[in-house]
Amino acid sequence: MVKRGPSGWLAWIVQRASALYMLAFLVAGLLWFLVDPPGSHPAWRARMAGAGTGIATAAFFAALLAHAWVGLRDVVLDYVRPRSLCGPVLAGLGLGLVAVAAWVLRILVMVRA
Amino acid sequence: MRLSIFRFDPDRDERPYMQDFEIALAPTDRMLLDAILRIRTLDDSLAVRKSCREGVCGSDAMNINGRNGLACVTPVAGLAEPVVLRPLPGFPVIRDLVVDMTRFFAQYDSIKPYLQNDEPPTGKERLQSPRDRARLDGLYECILCACCTSQCPSYWWNPEKFVGPAGLLQACRFIVDSRDRATAQRLDDLDDAYRLFRCRTIMNCTEVCPKGLAPSRAIEAIRSAMTRRPR
Repeated sequence: MVKRGPSGWLAWIVQRASALYMLAFLVAGLLWFLVDPPGSHPAWRARMAGAGTGIATAAFFAALLAHAWVGLRDVVLDYVRPRSLCGPVLAGLGLGLVAVAAWVLRILVMVRA
Repeated sequence: MRLSIFRFDPDRDERPYMQDFEIALAPTDRMLLDAILRIRTLDDSLAVRKSCREGVCGSDAMNINGRNGLACVTPVAGLAEPVVLRPLPGFPVIRDLVVDMTRFFAQYDSIKPYLQNDEPPTGKERLQSPRDRARLDGLYECILCACCTSQCPSYWWNPEKFVGPAGLLQACRFIVDSRDRATAQRLDDLDDAYRLFRCRTIMNCTEVCPKGLAPSRAIEAIRSAMTRRPR
């Protein structure tokens, strides 16, 4: 019953910080679209292609994936038995999230193109 | 009064079973422990821990109609019948309502529940201001009955790694104690994926504490202390 492994505090902070950023992004985005809705797909695309919007959106998805990683890790650490399966399951989930990140990046680049 | 009590004697029974009792309470039988002791006059094979009978020793902690509590301070009036009594959930059963508290106390021991201060005291005592003493209120009163820890789903899933609400409440008691000099080490000791951070703020612990304490608030205080400390 001694401490082992990486910091739990860091994961806890990442989960909360990412949640705050996602909340702020969604509220700001919703307000923006309500106050000044893009009238057409080209207009929406032009808005999303902006540098600031692109960076904020990329940060949103980075926060979402970090948040999801911490949450999924918690589920695995709590429920997966035998414990020897935790490593492979976490590795699989990690790869899945990396694949989603690559997909998001591709979409964001395509929007700007 | 009708009761249904968990019975299991590992020397005789292959598996646990529920035994029904119907007893006539005397006018002086106000608490559930009184009813249990009256049952023992009929069947003295029923194993149960009890001691102080006034809610300060924590011996008679058990699951009462699905919720942990102390039998000696649970009034019989208002209990839904049949009253279902089970041992503390998630703890190994020794016999009937008696559980093995070894791992619970080992987790408590792991947080070093004693003052760590190698500085020579000035005078006879290590002085503490009333304000600093007040910070221990709500923390020192724990009687280690294990009602909280045995009602915690996170403890059920990782009892050998997660310290549990009672242990963490006591860890907080020493972290906030102005006389203790091992705060940094205590915080470091809890900073891994399991010892403190299995807590999901379910708050069953605070809900069932028979002393009205709030382990979830203590756990949050430890997290805040970890956030505030210099890195």
